[in-house]
Amino acid sequence: MKPECVITGMGLVLPCGTGIEAASASWRSQQPCFRQLPPELGSGLGAICDVSTAGIIPPILNRRLDRVSRFAWVATHHALLDADLDPTQIRDRIGLAVGSVTGGIEASEQFLRPYLAKGPAGASPMIFPNSVAVAISGHISTAFGLRGCSTTQLAREACFFAALDQAMRWLRLGMADVMVVIGTDGLSPLFGELLQRSRLSARHGLPEVGSRRGLLPGEGAQAFILETRDRAETRRARIRASIRGLTSCAPATPDPKARGLALAEAASALTPIPPDAWIAGSSGHPILDEVECALRSRHPRWPQPRFPKTLWGEFCGSGGQLLAAAAVDLAPSVLITAPASLGAQFATAMEKP
Amino acid sequence: MKRVVVTGLGFVSSLGLDAKTTWAGMLEGRSGIRPLRHFATPREAIQIAAEVDLPEDAPPTRHTSRCERLAMLALEEALRQAGLDLDSGDPRRRGVFHASTAAGMPVAEAYILARQAGERGKATEPLYQHCSIITDRVAERIQAMGPRSTVMNACSSSLTTIAQAWERLAIGELDFAVAGGADVLCHTTFGGFSSLKAMDPNPCRPFSVDRAGLNLGEGAVQLVLEPLDLAQARGAEILGEVVGYGASSDAHHPTAPHPEGIGAARAMDMALQVGRLHAEEVDLISAHGTATPANDGVECLAIHRVLGSAARGVSVTSSKSQFGHTLGAAGALATAVALLALRDQVVSPTLRLDQPDPACDMDCTPLIPRERKLRAALVNAFAFGGNNMCLALRRWE
Repeated sequence: MKPECVITGMGLVLPCGTGIEAASASWRSQQPCFRQLPPELGSGLGAICDVSTAGIIPPILNRRLDRVSRFAWVATHHALLDADLDPTQIRDRIGLAVGSVTGGIEASEQFLRPYLAKGPAGASPMIFPNSVAVAISGHISTAFGLRGCSTTQLAREACFFAALDQAMRWLRLGMADVMVVIGTDGLSPLFGELLQRSRLSARHGLPEVGSRRGLLPGEGAQAFILETRDRAETRRARIRASIRGLTSCAPATPDPKARGLALAEAASALTPIPPDAWIAGSSGHPILDEVECALRSRHPRWPQPRFPKTLWGEFCGSGGQLLAAAAVDLAPSVLITAPASLGAQFATAMEKP
Repeated sequence: MKRVVVTGLGFVSSLGLDAKTTWAGMLEGRSGIRPLRHFATPREAIQIAAEVDLPEDAPPTRHTSRCERLAMLALEEALRQAGLDLDSGDPRRRGVFHASTAAGMPVAEAYILARQAGERGKATEPLYQHCSIITDRVAERIQAMGPRSTVMNACSSSLTTIAQAWERLAIGELDFAVAGGADVLCHTTFGGFSSLKAMDPNPCRPFSVDRAGLNLGEGAVQLVLEPLDLAQARGAEILGEVVGYGASSDAHHPTAPHPEGIGAARAMDMALQVGRLHAEEVDLISAHGTATPANDGVECLAIHRVLGSAARGVSVTSSKSQFGHTLGAAGALATAVALLALRDQVVSPTLRLDQPDPACDMDCTPLIPRERKLRAALVNAFAFGGNNMCLALRRWE
């Protein structure tokens, strides 16, 4: 029997605000958080995070961070506080798993534009290290003294779940006692431009699942402290939720219907009885919507899905926003599906005490 | 836990497009570090790297990057060697674990250059040439429907992919897995390492007293890994055994290693523990050995810390002296070198090691290959952000 993994702390940086209360209020209201992007972040609509770093990130370091790392730092700070965990006591046994689609993009753009225009004279050695996504985990591990195993995972719209998967494996194999799992994304002009010009972003109106209108980008970070139930109970930690199962599937075909049916099969194995709530990953992106449409047709008895990405944006934590929504939802048992336009897709079952 | 073995190896490098040519070149003391021939960066002072000479008859096509071509070339060799029947078996029990740091960067760079020149640029390409596209391509080729992982741990990425594959095979989740990495030159990494003053304008000299930095390189390695019982049942040739790995973070600095090598030592120590290896059994270390002033001394310090007196008997080699630093592919290349060394009982040389650094007081296999008994090996890869990985291998007898 695999040891059960539980969430003992959460730090949420979302376009609706920072913290669990802000996320809960936003989830209850179901009000979308999109607004006009400022020029430094792109154009069109997006879900932006206005995060306060005061008292959390020293100003001299804050200036050197890109948005993804800044969000991840604040989210981790709140998650460790929420878990009442002092990482310095077990620093060699705390691991880190990060999922990010946009990690490194902001810095790459900032590095490349002057470098390509001016040559070596335009290259900044300060920016370059942030151009790789692993920089996020470097900043976080250094800031909080986390010296355990660490990985940064990429899986299109479901990067966070790939990180969660690895984190649960490390806990179960005894490679770590505690895992910090982070999904983080930041907006940047290049990324926004690519989404718009590829016709993935909604040009008119807000994203609506099934409308084929397109997605709207969002940014943010969600950090979760994961432990085995035994360890959490031993240290008398408050258990916010239990991850009852996580499964992935990667159909060989890009056909959305086949991808939906494969995800349905994977999710069925997790929840033989219908869950109380279903948090779904559709975002207005035609492929993702079609995947979950096929999934719904296979499970007519499941509750109506709810879509965090239509409130907080696509990416916005690489899928971490789905787990955040599940955690603040009032339902005791929640199924989370994280489809992807290609590659691995995930389903997760969460239960709350 | 099941025992996990390597039954297929594909090796594309600046020394050759397959494992046989590459390994022969290494043992002949050849270096793949040469003046740039394919990648153009005329404004940079440094004009050398270890580039792969891809066949001219297969030019890059739309939606197929240079990185993907390297990766798929290595995959075909690995599959040929493994001799798997891809048309039978459960595709959900096949996994793909792949890494690259620069896979999509050349496309993004071309887009920015086009925009700077006032052109429209191909906006769909940078999104399509996401690093995970190669993972998907590999999965498509082997008809895999099981787990897929794309790791973005910079220089330790592909060692992480092999560790992840080992983990899943060892607990019986998969029938086989492909793990590895591929990387190519791009303006971001070339300009970036140049701006950090981390590159040597001449071919690099790992573990030398006068080492002056790294050279960048290209390459790809793909491994086919299987549980021992399945490999033996189908009569596969076994190249070596993966017995475990260790991972750690320095929690110290964005680019510099911990000066005492504490994080690196913890990763190596964990690899020994997980792999149930004694320090005395380790005869080979396929080192990270970048030839930067900071890395090599710290790595030697870490080796001493972990192996203790056994460090005196270990052979250390740095394949960066042949292939340059292949970044996301580096861990997989170093693993391939260790597997071939264990198989043939010969350590490939660290080139240009005329004047060893007294701080690196081990047998760093200077200049010429060394035949010796090799029972087990550690493979190191250390990355930006203080991300450390170590893989433990055993000779298959």
